[in-house]
Amino acid sequence: MFPQFGPTAASITKASTMVFRIGTDAHLYDDPEDVSIGPLLDSKFDSEKVDALKRLLALIAQGCDVVNFFPQVVKNVASQSLEVKKLVYLYLLHYAEKRPNEALLSINCYQKDLADLNPLVRAWALRAMAGIRLHVVAPLVLAAVGKCARDPSAYVRKCAANALPKLYDLRQEQTYGSIEELIGILLNDNSPGVVGAAAAAFNYICPTNLVLIGRGFRRLCEILPDVDEWGQIILIGILLRYAVARYGLPSRSSVGVSSENRSSFSKTISVNVDALPENRFGMTEGQVDDSNFISLLFSSYVEGQDEFLLRSNCTTKSSDFLESPGLSCGENHDVKILLQCTSPLLWSQNSAVVLAAAGVHWIVAPREDIKRIINPILFLLRSANSSLYVVLCNLLVFAKAMPSLFAPYFKNFFVHSSDSYHIRAMKLEILSIIATDSSIPLIFQEFQDYLKDPDRRFVADTVHVIGECAQRLPKVSATCLEGLLNLIRQESSENIMNMEEEGAVLSQAVVALKTIVKDSPAKHEKVIIRLARCLDIIKVPAARALIVWMIGEYCTVGRDFLQTIPVILQYLAQHFSSENMETKQQILNTTAKVVVCSQTEDMHTCIKVLIYVLELARCDLNYDVRDRARIVSKLLACHVNSQNAEGGRTHPVLNPSLHYELAESMLGRKVKPISHVPACSRFYLPGSLSHIVLHPAPGYESLPKPCSLANVDLHCSLEDLHEEKVTGDKCNSPGSSYTENGSSDSDSLSGSSEKERSDYDSQGPDSNENEGAASVDGGRGNGTSRLLLADVEDMQTSGALIHFSDVDAEYNELNQAADGNGSSSSHLNVSELLSKEKLESWLGQQQSMSEPRCPAEGISLPSTARITIRETDLTIKPKVHKLLDPTSGNGLGVEYSFSSEVSGISPELVCLEIYFENHSTEPLTKISVMDEGSSKSQDSVAQKLEIAEISVTPTQMQGIVPMEEIPCLHPGEGIKRFLHVRFHHHLLPIKISICCSGKKYPAKLRPDVGYFIKPLFLDLKTFVDKESQLPGMFEYTRRCTFTAHIGDLHSERFDGSASSDKVLVVAQRLASEILSNANISLVAVTIPVSVTDAHVKDVDDVSGLCLRFGCEISSSSIPCLLTVTAEGRYSGPLTVVLRINCEESIFGLNLLNRIGAVFA
Amino acid sequence: MLQCIFLLSDSGEVMLEKQWTGHQVDRSICSWFWGHVLSQGGSSKVPPVIASPTHYLFQIVREGITFLGCSQVEMPPLMALDFLGRVADVLSDYLGSLDEDLIKDNFVIVYELLDELMDNGFPLTTEPNILKEMIAPPNLVNKVLNAVTGTSSSMSNTLPSATASTVPWRTSNTKHANNEVYVDLVEQLDATVSRDGHLVNCEIYGEVQVNSHLSGLPDLTLSFANPSILNDVRFHPCVRFRPWESHQILSFVPPDGQFKLMSYRVANLKNTPIYVKPQFSSDAGTCRVHVLVGMRCDPGKQIDSITVEFQLPSCVVSTDLTSNHGMVNVLADKVCSWSIGRIPKDKGPSLSGTLRLAAGLERMHVFPTFVVGFKIMGVALSGLQIDKLDLLNLPYRPYKGFRALTRAGIYEVRG
Repeated sequence: MFPQFGPTAASITKASTMVFRIGTDAHLYDDPEDVSIGPLLDSKFDSEKVDALKRLLALIAQGCDVVNFFPQVVKNVASQSLEVKKLVYLYLLHYAEKRPNEALLSINCYQKDLADLNPLVRAWALRAMAGIRLHVVAPLVLAAVGKCARDPSAYVRKCAANALPKLYDLRQEQTYGSIEELIGILLNDNSPGVVGAAAAAFNYICPTNLVLIGRGFRRLCEILPDVDEWGQIILIGILLRYAVARYGLPSRSSVGVSSENRSSFSKTISVNVDALPENRFGMTEGQVDDSNFISLLFSSYVEGQDEFLLRSNCTTKSSDFLESPGLSCGENHDVKILLQCTSPLLWSQNSAVVLAAAGVHWIVAPREDIKRIINPILFLLRSANSSLYVVLCNLLVFAKAMPSLFAPYFKNFFVHSSDSYHIRAMKLEILSIIATDSSIPLIFQEFQDYLKDPDRRFVADTVHVIGECAQRLPKVSATCLEGLLNLIRQESSENIMNMEEEGAVLSQAVVALKTIVKDSPAKHEKVIIRLARCLDIIKVPAARALIVWMIGEYCTVGRDFLQTIPVILQYLAQHFSSENMETKQQILNTTAKVVVCSQTEDMHTCIKVLIYVLELARCDLNYDVRDRARIVSKLLACHVNSQNAEGGRTHPVLNPSLHYELAESMLGRKVKPISHVPACSRFYLPGSLSHIVLHPAPGYESLPKPCSLANVDLHCSLEDLHEEKVTGDKCNSPGSSYTENGSSDSDSLSGSSEKERSDYDSQGPDSNENEGAASVDGGRGNGTSRLLLADVEDMQTSGALIHFSDVDAEYNELNQAADGNGSSSSHLNVSELLSKEKLESWLGQQQSMSEPRCPAEGISLPSTARITIRETDLTIKPKVHKLLDPTSGNGLGVEYSFSSEVSGISPELVCLEIYFENHSTEPLTKISVMDEGSSKSQDSVAQKLEIAEISVTPTQMQGIVPMEEIPCLHPGEGIKRFLHVRFHHHLLPIKISICCSGKKYPAKLRPDVGYFIKPLFLDLKTFVDKESQLPGMFEYTRRCTFTAHIGDLHSERFDGSASSDKVLVVAQRLASEILSNANISLVAVTIPVSVTDAHVKDVDDVSGLCLRFGCEISSSSIPCLLTVTAEGRYSGPLTVVLRINCEESIFGLNLLNRIGAVFA
Repeated sequence: MLQCIFLLSDSGEVMLEKQWTGHQVDRSICSWFWGHVLSQGGSSKVPPVIASPTHYLFQIVREGITFLGCSQVEMPPLMALDFLGRVADVLSDYLGSLDEDLIKDNFVIVYELLDELMDNGFPLTTEPNILKEMIAPPNLVNKVLNAVTGTSSSMSNTLPSATASTVPWRTSNTKHANNEVYVDLVEQLDATVSRDGHLVNCEIYGEVQVNSHLSGLPDLTLSFANPSILNDVRFHPCVRFRPWESHQILSFVPPDGQFKLMSYRVANLKNTPIYVKPQFSSDAGTCRVHVLVGMRCDPGKQIDSITVEFQLPSCVVSTDLTSNHGMVNVLADKVCSWSIGRIPKDKGPSLSGTLRLAAGLERMHVFPTFVVGFKIMGVALSGLQIDKLDLLNLPYRPYKGFRALTRAGIYEVRG
């Protein structure tokens, strides 16, 4: 407008954008690296940290790799500022997988945050902790999730549900059980938001475990409208899956009706593919839906489609299904509830919810109720363009299966100018499917308008669809033909600008005509003639070729046409040389066909034309045309020759009749029209991704087999009642833990340990013996070990090796008193609970009876014995590691092993035994060991130290305490030295260098977690006490297999009777394995005792063998308790359960893994 | 589950990436996607769900910004697309509008939002009210603080109480000095007029938009005088289904602020307020155009900002168009727009002129579609009337306001 102000205006806009950008993070995004980020991260001020973190985030956003800041960022996880925390989490989760070791260091912080009062902090900590996805911390995360699943804040519980798939992703089989259990708990939650997230977890982790849903099916249905929209989508799918698995597809649903011919009023029906075409039950609209298609569709929905297809011919099978116990109305009631609860969701604002709800109705609703989904689905057509595409994809299949449903609503599928090409194409297809005799005039009017559309590709599609409509509705085919012929004339007479696009329209028009003519060629003889006349004006090769093909194909249809054929052929022959390759080939075919089939009077001309065309084709430039000409001439040799005989050209024809027949069958016979088979016979559930991309996406689950769940559910519904009673009360107070015995303690044991305990208890009734017998038996068995009844206190005092006492009883007692947890894991049924309670009360009595414990007859007592194994009896072989290989060390070989001695200098030092040996032929001099870190100094190690600060606080920088130099080592000589080493972290190796004869050899000392501890001498009672103080979060278990004992048992030949000795051997072996791998002390061994007159029990069962070890972390004196329980028979591999209770979670976990590795 | 989201600018540059699951999706997928878009000739030509060689991609485009979500496993595609739409809504709500600069300038907030919107590939908090309590939208005070002191935190320190409540869209302790609630009926008229002047399809798509500023936990009931005219409805999650099923009454606890309570459709209307009649006559390489616009039936209020737009067919090389009222512009992409404004009392607006066709073309064989726009304040063309709005649970008497507005939706006249 005012050009003179242009520059000013521009600068004003510029200035104003500058103003708007002030105070935003714009500068950080534009130039994140204009200051150095490192120092900012180490700053004392939160604001500077925030600044640095934002810069890092900007770099991530721009795709730069800033993983090298990881250690510095991790340090800040402990910050109190929520903003810093959030930003750190954002960074951390992006890179955690790349730097697992450093990420580990943040775990302690999360643990602390998990106990924070602010639910937001708890939730964040949980999300971050689960998000770093490290295998080692999986048990920790599981415990944390378990705790958060009972959090008072719904938000935290929701995050717990979301964390489950992360945990599951780590693929640790031992956690699966507990994860599913947690899903069960969360699905029962009171807060709808949590249920939604739990449903998502369920769908991801165990979509087939429908029994879990069966328990709360109705409750879930009722809560469904309150669940958040995203949860609804998932939950609807799950409920549908359950309903189908439990009750099958109701007989009155669309599929049921379509296959109702066999048994008219069976209650339910399984998918039945062999619906005969005459099934037209329940179709009130007078329009016949494609029941074959519906059956096919529904059989694709359910699992094991192929199986069903196979079964389709086997009528007995499907009637079996029908006669399987009919389902009572009560059971169908569930389906009704599902439908009731999903129908208001058809009004949801979220289109995915609407589609999911519509899918439920589509599959299980009675046929007459399906109508109610139409309007909501049509309303979905209002959604944004992107959703519209998906909606139409689904609608297309619905419409194909039941065109009558959508027929009255055809106007909704009229094309708008703003629709994209994909959407237009889909709308056209739907229109062609749902068109009826009554609506087709209006639709054709609409199509007329489309023909003028500037988008010619769309016009071509329209023309194609017109042909399809005409084929489907024979009444309108005459009008269509007229219209199409007019169109062809019009189009071809136009001066065409864009050949390609217009050509497409034209050839589509010819194709459409062909489809119409195909059905009854005799009726449309005139059309073919008119088309042939159009050849003059049609320039598009594809269209021409098709017309020529039609002439040949239908050359026998009528008299009039027959008469014109010679003329047409002459015309074609004239133009042959100027034709396109495609058309040339068709001309060849057509002439040959005419010669073979037609009975025209003017056969002579036709044959002449053929010969002429063949001659022309023989000299054609295109080899394809030449080849075809050769074939045709060979095939038709007899036809051609019969004419040419007088010309003197003779071909040796062996069997003219054979040739005739061959030519006849190749060119003459009408090809049987291929029946209308749906292009893709595989369909996917409505609303699924697979449905859009037309292949099964990973993770796609079809519906379960109908009624496959029926049996399972019966017994579970019984349990259900009890469950509901029990869990019902609990649900009311989600904050308190799920206690069974009434005592409430917010800390609870993880699921796995509960299971273990219940195993432990249930042993009781099994072993049918008493103490007295046990002691006698033990005494007789082994002469080397003395045996006496003793109290716990005796243990250390005497040299006795084995003590017997009623450990289990005590143990149970202690446990009951201490933890008060024993939560009802959902798999325990009531009868089991009862017997457990009985047992416990009975045990209590037993206690009060106290000494002298006279075995009452008939009473079964869990019988175990406690023994002490002297460590001297055990063979302890510390592992030897190689530090320097003689080949690389110029003849000097260095080996080290961890010593059980505790360093006298500082508790943080670890003692090593280093063994130097000279393998060379020359003496080596001046051997010493130096810390690489201290000599090379600060950069890398300093950084590591800072990281390590969080868990281990080094007071000195020095990595190793200097060792006195070895002046000289002669050839073949060896020397042993002690070395005190300070590892910075119990996993990170330290670099050292070995100096020898003036040369330096770098080497790495790898720490062994097992020697960061020192033995802790406890008695059993204190052990159990301590253990009970460290439940839940501080307890980790691991299962492994133990086989080393098998060799022992074979080498020392025992006479088969003394089975307890074998158990002893196993115990010894177990103990020595552990003791030689960790600096730990054996507290107690409890072995099961069996009687020799074993009339009850398997003699070789070691289940119940339990070893307890105690130690404390040398640097911090935090106690660490290890319990080893064995299960199985000693003749084969044993399952060993390792359990560690330790406050320092990371350390405990690493120790557990270290010891687990011993057995691996 | 959505594994990650990429925000692409209109030139295909990746502005942001946010990974939600452990399996990180490499950025290279974006270049594949952009190559695909270019090969198809623009993102509108690409279907919203694409199976790339490695991932399933979901894309929506808002204001030139492509929101690209990736998944490797089965998930409801509508869920993904709706979620991406929600992300776009939330971002434009926070930033005022959506454009490349705004996103880059506020990338930290965008990151924080994305982190809160989804957890491990499953939507976590998508309720705008809760989000606003958790993460403060950028406002002037914040900006100034940030500019002056360099410290301002957008993260809230406490968990919004609504996350735990049964009405997650509302915080319980809202307080307003002026308690007021406004109900707007905003309707769109969609119509298609065929080439021969028939009204093919005419329907109303309407929304009931509520702007509520009420203290405490109010319970509202809204009833219509003629609910039977509604063909289809869709509700905000706050609407209770039961009362609607039985009495067609909307009963709800409103979120605070502006929200869409309900959307509805009224099909098969018989008339449009204005008519647009285009005529074409071609001969000898030129085409005469004549477009007439006029009032068909008076809605009772002034019809405002009438516009007529049409895309010139590609065979037109030059135009010469004039109108007796309003302005005619031919834009660079061959869109001809005629803004009329109000229809004058004394004359009927008309547009006339000639189109020169490309060399060799005698007549025009394709015809443009005219897209009509208008606005009528104060009238709901569907005839839907609000009967009354009752407020329960309130110790005070709030101010209640009602408005109506109709504008053209997809109003097409084929030439």
